[in-house]
Amino acid sequence: MERKPILSVKGLKTYFYTEDGIVKAVDGVDFDVYQGETLGIVGESGCGKSVTALSILRILDEKGKIVDGQVLLDGVDLTKIDEQEMRRIRGKDIAIIFQEPMVALNPVFTIGEQIMEAIMLHQRLDEKNARAMAIDLLRKVGIPEPEKRVDQYPHELSGGMRQRAMIAMALSCKPKVLIADEPTTALDVTIQAQIMELMKQLQKEYGMAIMLITHDLGLIAENADRVVVMYAGKVVEYADVRTLFNDPKHPYTWGLLHAIPRLDIEQTRLYNIPGVVPDPLHFPPGCKFHPRCEFREERCTREEPELVEVGENHTVRCFFWQKVVEAKMKKVGEFV
Amino acid sequence: MRVETKRMLRRILRNPSAVLGFALLIFFTLVAVFAPLICPPQSYDPYMIPIVTWDKTPQPPTKGHPFGIIDGRDIFYGVVWGTRTAFKVGLVVTLTSTLVGLVIGSIAGYFGGWIDEVLMRITDVFLSIPYILAAIVLTAFLGMGLDKVMISLIIFGWMGTARLIRANILQAREEQYVLAARALGVSDFFVITKHILPNTIFPVLIQATMRIGSLVITAAALSFLGLGAPVGYADWGALLNFARNWMLGASGEALKYWYAIVYPGTAMVLFVLAWNLVGDALRDAFDPRLRG
Amino acid sequence: MLTYIIRRLLLLPLILFGLSLIIFGMIQSLGPDRLLAAYVNPGVLDKLTPVQLEKIKQKYGLNDPMMIRYIKWLKNTLQGDLGWSLVGKQPVKDAILSRLPWTVELALYSIVPVVFVGVWLGVIAAVNRDKFLDHFVRIFAVVGWSFPDFVFGLIVLMIFYSVLGWFPPGNLSFWADQVVKSPEFRRFTSLVTIDALLNGRFDVFVDALRHLVAPILTLSWLWWAYLLRITRSSMLEVLTKEYIRTARAKGLAERVVINKHARRNAMIPVITVGGGMVIQLFAGTVIVEMVFNRTGMGSFTATAATQLDYASIMASALFYSLILVIGNLVIDILYATVDPRVRLG
Repeated sequence: MERKPILSVKGLKTYFYTEDGIVKAVDGVDFDVYQGETLGIVGESGCGKSVTALSILRILDEKGKIVDGQVLLDGVDLTKIDEQEMRRIRGKDIAIIFQEPMVALNPVFTIGEQIMEAIMLHQRLDEKNARAMAIDLLRKVGIPEPEKRVDQYPHELSGGMRQRAMIAMALSCKPKVLIADEPTTALDVTIQAQIMELMKQLQKEYGMAIMLITHDLGLIAENADRVVVMYAGKVVEYADVRTLFNDPKHPYTWGLLHAIPRLDIEQTRLYNIPGVVPDPLHFPPGCKFHPRCEFREERCTREEPELVEVGENHTVRCFFWQKVVEAKMKKVGEFV
Repeated sequence: MRVETKRMLRRILRNPSAVLGFALLIFFTLVAVFAPLICPPQSYDPYMIPIVTWDKTPQPPTKGHPFGIIDGRDIFYGVVWGTRTAFKVGLVVTLTSTLVGLVIGSIAGYFGGWIDEVLMRITDVFLSIPYILAAIVLTAFLGMGLDKVMISLIIFGWMGTARLIRANILQAREEQYVLAARALGVSDFFVITKHILPNTIFPVLIQATMRIGSLVITAAALSFLGLGAPVGYADWGALLNFARNWMLGASGEALKYWYAIVYPGTAMVLFVLAWNLVGDALRDAFDPRLRG
Repeated sequence: MLTYIIRRLLLLPLILFGLSLIIFGMIQSLGPDRLLAAYVNPGVLDKLTPVQLEKIKQKYGLNDPMMIRYIKWLKNTLQGDLGWSLVGKQPVKDAILSRLPWTVELALYSIVPVVFVGVWLGVIAAVNRDKFLDHFVRIFAVVGWSFPDFVFGLIVLMIFYSVLGWFPPGNLSFWADQVVKSPEFRRFTSLVTIDALLNGRFDVFVDALRHLVAPILTLSWLWWAYLLRITRSSMLEVLTKEYIRTARAKGLAERVVINKHARRNAMIPVITVGGGMVIQLFAGTVIVEMVFNRTGMGSFTATAATQLDYASIMASALFYSLILVIGNLVIDILYATVDPRVRLG
């Protein structure tokens, strides 16, 4: 059965016009997010994953512009509608939670006020009902004594609770898509697990799609259904999670997985991908990953590969993905 | 460092107000340097404006006296030599107060603890006192004269630098290279002077530049009130003091004496503007993020 | 919140104590001879013999050790005996009390344009960053900041008084002054403008205002430029914060994001600075009152300084210290009101 994605990004290009030159933060990105599913977007800092999220919501810096592409939410192209319509969608149909809840919440308003603001904006509720709903939401996200907490300020809550409050605020209008940009990076490991657990539970209850943006492969492995791997503003691999971990076909993915320290086999040296993420103002010619690639050949320094289909719902941006498969065959054990 | 300097220069030159500021400064510097040539001194103290007529009423500009005459003295002379006075006061006070501030702030920041606490409380008290009031009161007690004014201004002008340097030191103290130096046994004094200060010099410089403007205004205000320079001294503030007396006396006619205000006043405004623009430019060039 | 205020209130006497020490220290830098002028009319001073001078020195304890002198001075001051004012030709206390209301009036009214114009323009400049409006406003502000208040005042005087005759110098016209001094004129607040209204004398009210416009313009000129800078940079910084992004992501209109979320946070440093600025306004009255020939604490202080009227100078210094301390307290309280993070500290 052909499912239709609830959110579909096609050929998205977002450029930043800075005083030092044009930064092509997102340079042709495609992916689909299905209802009730979690799409993971993984990559190192600076690969463009956050910018993608901000582009979808159109809350970019003033120097950033979406120069091409479409963002289809239930068939409506978000890049083409006017600002007023976009505002109705923001916070209501698509919600986002950010990395650091301390700075993402306004310190001079209580969390109750901030949640109620979203509620009263998108749903025609009066203050009393909005407040009741806010308390309910706080309870739902697992904050104890919500009646007390609702009148507290962000700095009075712990990191984990703040993130829960942010989730409550994001979910207040039952969005179709929740974008989570590094939701647990700033939290302790134990809290991380709780937050992800909470998100999964709410996802099931609300039937919403989640876009999980992170650099943490472990998080992806446990929570994502499908994964997009990004590098230098482009998608380099796109597959479902099992395939990605068991059968990666892009050298970058291979490198990322390889770099995870193993407890079950003996390692004399920890692997890491050589080199650093390229400066967006000075991309290398040809394939953007080639300077760091273990499998590169002469062709990679000249031409940039397109995405090719290498399996069922599995695409890769590489000329020599075969070499990755061969390399994997030679290794002992599986990754997942 | 090279690339950074080039970047900074580029930013400065691209900014029209910065260029204006520097141009004005250069102009004033030239006037100050060449004052003896432009207006040859006529008494043993070149800073006393020569009396050119015994008639006390202000005279409008003429060929011999392009800016007019007030209180019997040549305004042009006063404005030109006043440039020297302005530079003198501005630079001496700023340099000295910056030095004082550096010392105090360094001690507070480096040693921390109760020394820091005490010094900071003192700084706070001094900071909360308005500049001009403090200067007025102190000058009254020290006696009149430009040098006493300068002392008053120095005594109440070091706090900004002290705070700045202290903040920088507190931050730098935790830096690895400082800890390394101390671990090697380098004395505290050397650590401060050789490691920390060079890195914090630029913000201090910027702050000092921005201070000169308001400093010159305060000094001139004191002269305007009659507390600073003696009567007849080449000081813009003193010249404006003369102007005020005539302005209040004659109603409806005062426009006649416009030159008494406009010439010294313009000199003042442009001088302060120059320093403010330069300070802004330096700050923008150093770190555009601080802009605003 | 209450504990916070109480704590700050308790610090008040300590700070005043510290300031009084400084002032006293300055006084003592003068020798006992110069100090005599503070207690005895100089006209009389010359005619006294050395023996009589010694007696007076004894009486006022000028030969006593520092500590005792300080205590005596403190005692006198707290009892209201501030000495004799040369400038006012009356006891210092009376001189100050009669002049104080004029200055308070001037400073209070000046706060309004400074705050509203400065903050309003500052927000505009920040929101329209780098566009024409921003540049224009900033240039305006830089020039404003570079203009000495007395130069500005003289020009205002020249244009509006000498040329146009609209805003004369001084506090009141002669006839209005007579009205105010007459026994029928009842004093409620000792602020002439308000009292005039309360007495039903609209003409006096207008006259007082006429005399206030130019000084207010001059006094506020410098400070709105300063406040504008502070507001602008504070606003700019706030606009880069994450919670602004969150607010936009919630779907709020830009106007709401700016006026509600951004401004509240931006005001926090502005209040601190703004508060300090009010204190500076009081300091600025010194110049402005001199330029416009008004009676008030400012001109009193300046004249006392030039005439070396030490008793008056000391009292003025004390007065301004009080303003300073109270002003700082008010700032702290306001700060706690606006920033919830401070309250629990």
